[in-house]
Amino acid sequence: MDQITTNPIVIGIDAGGTMTDTILVDQDGHFKIGKSATTPKNEAEGFLASAEDAADAWGISLQDLFSGVNVVLYSGTGMLNTLLSRTGRKLGLITTKGLEDMILMGRGLQAWADYSYADRLHAVTHHHPDPLIPRRRTHGVTERIDQFGDVILPLYEHEAHAAAKKLIADKVEAICIMTVFSHVNPAHEKRIAEICREEIAAAGSDILVYTSHEVRPVIREQSRLNSVLIEAYATSRGRRQLKGIEDVSKKYGFKYGVQTLLSFGGLTSIDHPRLHETMISGPIGGILGAAYVGKLIGNDSLICSDMGGTSFDMGVITRGQTRIENEPLMDRFKLNVPTLHLDTIGAGAGMILKVDPLTKKVSLGPESAGSDPGPICFAKGGTEPTIADCDAILGRLNPHYFLGGKVVLQVEKARNAFEEKCARVLGVGVEEAAEGMIDMLEADANNALRRVISGQGIHPSEFTLLSYGGSGPLHLAGCSRGIGFKDIITFQFAAAFSAFGCTTADFMRRHSVSTQIDIGARASDDELQAFGAKVTAVWNDLTRAAVDEMVADGHALPKIKTVPFLMMRYTGQLEDVEVMAPLSAISSADDMRKVIAEFEAVYAKVNHRVSRYGEAGFSITELGLIATADKVKPMLVKRPLGTSDPASAHKGVREAYVGGRWHKANLYEMDLLQPGHEVIGPAIIEHPATTLVVHPQDSVFVDEWTLLHYSHA
Amino acid sequence: MLDKPASALRIRERLIESERLMDETGCYDGITELKLRNQDPLKFETLHTKLRAYCVSAREMARRISASPGVREVGEMVVAIYTPEGDAIALSNGIMVHVHTMSRFIKWMIRNGYEENPQIRDGDIFANNDAFIGTVQVPDVMDVVPIFHSGKLVGWAGAVCHELEAGGITPGGDVALAQERFTEGLFVCAEKVGENDELRRDYVIRCERNLRMPIYWVLDEKAKVASCIDMRESVKALIDEIGLDYWMQVSKEFIEEGRRAQLARTRQLTVPGIYRGHTFYGHVTAGKPGYQPLGDPDWLYNMPIEMEITTDGKIVIDFEGTQPWGYHSMNCTPAGMDGGMFVTLTQHMNFEGLVNDGAWMATELKLPAGTWTNPDNEMVATATSWALLLPAFGVFQRLLSRSFIARGFVEEAFVGQVNSPMIEMGGQSQYGTPFGMAHFECAAAGSGALAIKDGLDTAYVGWNPESDMGNIEIWEQNMPMLYIGRSIVPNSGGAGKYRGGCSFLSTWLVSKTDHLRLVTSEHSSRVFDNGGLCGGYPAPTCQKHRAVRDSNIFELAKKGAPLAHHTGTNPHRSELEVRLEGEHVTLEGPYITAPHKTGDVFTHSYNGGGGYGDVLERDPAKTAWDVENGFLTREAAEGIFGIVLDEDADGFPVSNLEATKRHRAEMRAKRLARAKPVSEWISSERERVKAADFAPEVKKMYASAIKLSPRFAKNFSTFWDVDARSTFGVE
Repeated sequence: MDQITTNPIVIGIDAGGTMTDTILVDQDGHFKIGKSATTPKNEAEGFLASAEDAADAWGISLQDLFSGVNVVLYSGTGMLNTLLSRTGRKLGLITTKGLEDMILMGRGLQAWADYSYADRLHAVTHHHPDPLIPRRRTHGVTERIDQFGDVILPLYEHEAHAAAKKLIADKVEAICIMTVFSHVNPAHEKRIAEICREEIAAAGSDILVYTSHEVRPVIREQSRLNSVLIEAYATSRGRRQLKGIEDVSKKYGFKYGVQTLLSFGGLTSIDHPRLHETMISGPIGGILGAAYVGKLIGNDSLICSDMGGTSFDMGVITRGQTRIENEPLMDRFKLNVPTLHLDTIGAGAGMILKVDPLTKKVSLGPESAGSDPGPICFAKGGTEPTIADCDAILGRLNPHYFLGGKVVLQVEKARNAFEEKCARVLGVGVEEAAEGMIDMLEADANNALRRVISGQGIHPSEFTLLSYGGSGPLHLAGCSRGIGFKDIITFQFAAAFSAFGCTTADFMRRHSVSTQIDIGARASDDELQAFGAKVTAVWNDLTRAAVDEMVADGHALPKIKTVPFLMMRYTGQLEDVEVMAPLSAISSADDMRKVIAEFEAVYAKVNHRVSRYGEAGFSITELGLIATADKVKPMLVKRPLGTSDPASAHKGVREAYVGGRWHKANLYEMDLLQPGHEVIGPAIIEHPATTLVVHPQDSVFVDEWTLLHYSHA
Repeated sequence: MLDKPASALRIRERLIESERLMDETGCYDGITELKLRNQDPLKFETLHTKLRAYCVSAREMARRISASPGVREVGEMVVAIYTPEGDAIALSNGIMVHVHTMSRFIKWMIRNGYEENPQIRDGDIFANNDAFIGTVQVPDVMDVVPIFHSGKLVGWAGAVCHELEAGGITPGGDVALAQERFTEGLFVCAEKVGENDELRRDYVIRCERNLRMPIYWVLDEKAKVASCIDMRESVKALIDEIGLDYWMQVSKEFIEEGRRAQLARTRQLTVPGIYRGHTFYGHVTAGKPGYQPLGDPDWLYNMPIEMEITTDGKIVIDFEGTQPWGYHSMNCTPAGMDGGMFVTLTQHMNFEGLVNDGAWMATELKLPAGTWTNPDNEMVATATSWALLLPAFGVFQRLLSRSFIARGFVEEAFVGQVNSPMIEMGGQSQYGTPFGMAHFECAAAGSGALAIKDGLDTAYVGWNPESDMGNIEIWEQNMPMLYIGRSIVPNSGGAGKYRGGCSFLSTWLVSKTDHLRLVTSEHSSRVFDNGGLCGGYPAPTCQKHRAVRDSNIFELAKKGAPLAHHTGTNPHRSELEVRLEGEHVTLEGPYITAPHKTGDVFTHSYNGGGGYGDVLERDPAKTAWDVENGFLTREAAEGIFGIVLDEDADGFPVSNLEATKRHRAEMRAKRLARAKPVSEWISSERERVKAADFAPEVKKMYASAIKLSPRFAKNFSTFWDVDARSTFGVE
């Protein structure tokens, strides 16, 4: 990176389950990173510490930093980790009477939907995810509204009162309400919510109430139920945290509102009413970053993998295209939030290890030690051995260089506890057991990558693996071994890659409304013109709303770009095609025909022309508008290749246990590696924020963008 | 160099040659050595992964196009790529049952001279739903397109969807009332339905004019053809890359490797030998409207099944002794039987690696002519053949499982599939228009138990391992009924140390129509059509249909009085009877009655799976959880499992271990008191057999099998030491 003379204007911060990463970007695209432990009880502390670490690296104070920037982006996986580790709120549910069992039945597909091709067929492997709410706290209330919004059975208010009272007595922290077709007519959900609030007030309790039509007003009751449950289960704590972050940013002089990242890839204010739409924003940042790097280096087919302390996230970019999933799975629950496609498993350096003394069965997680108390070697009160402890015991982590030396790892402490709780129970040596645990974690991640690849029907040899996250490089070798990727790349800024990715996003608003506009196959000119006028009116409203919001967020009017879109289908179909409007307004029958022609063109491109069926007519089910405003983005710098000898980055030798024995591994400083350098394993490449373990005979080559290419022997 | 370039032979001769080579060498198409695989195993695997990827993504595209919740919502579709001779090379996920039925369809066209007339040309589209040509039932409509490269036929791409409306005598797809093929619906018999990558307009018009809800069929046709074209183009691009000769050879090696892999897996997972099992199926139609008096209205089918596993890993299944075909809709063709076999194998043994027709070639089905498995009359109806197929292949799963257990692969044992009857409907929709639909939420029954855990609740069916029931809000857009209940049926899983998965029951309020016809295919009546394993009990079947006509539900709702949302657990008085007034209907067997209208209430349940192991070994804590969550009743916990439950402070069940121990000891003592030596039991039963002291349906069942099968008659005579023919009065 060349000399920096300006101050940063963008702060991107990604708080993972274990570490909080910061990237600072100036107007020329220069960037610096910082890192600190995540502080789950008050994320603002970790946020500030991480920002300070980055500000130190830039050589400015926190006050200078925050008062100078015009964008603060904060994204986290905290909410997702709450879900994965099942540590969210205690919920109650009120739903349409007769459907209470949907909590247990789920949708059948949740029993297999994130499986590999082989396991999808292999039926004995199927099983339901654990529900977020037990059946005993699910209550039915008699009511029915049909698809047209008509009340067929009235709401039994006395049942709603009884249900609310029972849930209050059960000391739930939040009550969720989901009734059938509430996205069409929310009257019953609204009334149930009112009744709950009355009862809560009467009981003097402090219980939140969530309704599905507010959280996710979209068809498919199972997905809407999952959305409202997840919103209530995992995001309410997150919302308080985001507010805390904005407060602390303002305290240091920040003048605007903090932004966070939507799961479909744009930035939005932290006041966003449907926070579960930002739940997987950290990993989404990684995908955006990967797409951005891929474009820079001319490689557009990528598998992204992000390993932190708690979870392992995987994304796919095929020929530059990131898949949008309209009904994504989140921890095996089906939702209906447009999301950049991503798969997640619980796997990270913070995973707690257990050995059952009776059966000798080893289990990894799903709990993570997080950063508080963290692994035993952090000496912050952790008593359960973790993968990170194993890494420390085996000499793969430098006890005096963790977070650049800010945390001194207590290896002996970790070793003693691990020996007592794991190795001795298993009846094997400490090193053997520790490496076995790491192998298990890496095998899990390796299998998950294979599953992602197989589930998409994509052969690995077409793809480059990008590995990042604080623990990504540490476990890269095992995670990627034997899969046969075209190339494997990691980064000097691997630890802050998701934060880096967030800063590559533009400001975005996606406003849309559900519509039911059915255009007959033989509609007259007058009818077409009337349909067009209806569409234009909606677009105008949406444009006004989106632009007003962006202006209120401080964007200059001329910088805001708007593109209207339609979700269209042949009447009777069950899936829409998203059509970017060829016109910003429809003022004649011919204009309307152009829009229909555009739909048919897009449809034929996606689904082949044989499948067109204009005779059925056309339906517009949703009208929307995307408003964007540009933002400065970080740049990677290309430099010529130099010598292959990495001596200038060499910093010594350390004993490291790899492949069943101790090796004298060469140590390198990651930031000192230069284009052209080649490191042969056994070696350890250290960075204050991450560690790359190079297994014996494997090698790492540094290219002209200073990207690190890992080759298996 | 490669052995065989793209053949210059006509395709019919090529097919005959291929079969001859298989006969002579025992290897697919005479491929005795996997040369290309040995040359470059990585390239070989990579290519197959690519082909499978083409199939998976083509199926996803088709699902976006479909208007049918069957396809879009619950995935009732599969696509595959075939050799020129019609053998499957690679396939997608989905309803795997059809991979080999499409193979039969392609071979049928080749054998029947389609090369000359109507000719097989680039851009042609062929469709079929005739089970005697190659499918399971009329609603399973398949489309195939030939793949040409350099002017030569180099393969086929094919796709099947299960249609929700087939235009039969009653609405929907699985037409239970059909007693001959002429009432099953719209037939497309290996017909060329399109040219130059377009469906023929006259074919589309025929569909539009002969179906109650043509948009399902027509858009599914378009979806299938689009996916076939997608696969075809991908294969052509692949051939450009790897060369035609390589493609012709590698596609055959894939199948031969699939065959070898199946044999190897069988050798690995099973113990060779002969395994026997059986199940029954009861059909009750006496007095139902619409049935023509062509045969006995009520009858019982016996399905004795013998599985032989040879030492080289071949699996042979023999249906000798089962019943003759009948004038009902549950007959099956050999194509359907193939399908049942294939889908079962892919779930148990053939899920990894090269999933293709090779697996099918490593097996053999012996289907006695004249039985329901292989009717010697092509006029018979097969519209609901799943009713017999599922029980039959459930037996196959249990036979395989016994073999897995014998070999030590306990975790692979699976009591398996059950029947899951569908509701068909039609009449006037909530939009005031005519409609017809099959309700596919049946694709999420309970599975049989495993040998290591309970079966899967509400998420398994035999015909499609990717089971799902779909969203209520999607189904309600397609029918004039509203859900007022969709709930787990307590005790619907077979009891055992590990219980079978439970099923669910839906309760609907008919709304916004004056004419709703509801027709169901059926649960087995009066006898179990499924079984347990290693001491586990079968799942209950014989569920009755319940409805209330002219119910007072709206009056009750006005008053805020409790309504019925399920049928409850009292077998003598259902919740419908307790809560609702009106004309109560309780019907055994298929539901075929006069139209319903707004205000009527209707319920329908699916099946749970069989149990595994002794009920007295079931975990009490798990049982308490089951009772709390409605999978079991308290009565069943105590009466069947011997588990005594107390209540905790909140009134939730907790197991009382001491009382359970005592209760179970008593139950064991009672069992012993009731027990007698097998020899004694056989000799007492023999007296009944000698006297043919059976219900009329049982007697007819044995008589028909004895008449049809000399081998069955001989085995029966030998076992019971009677003259079977004279005992049952068979001439």
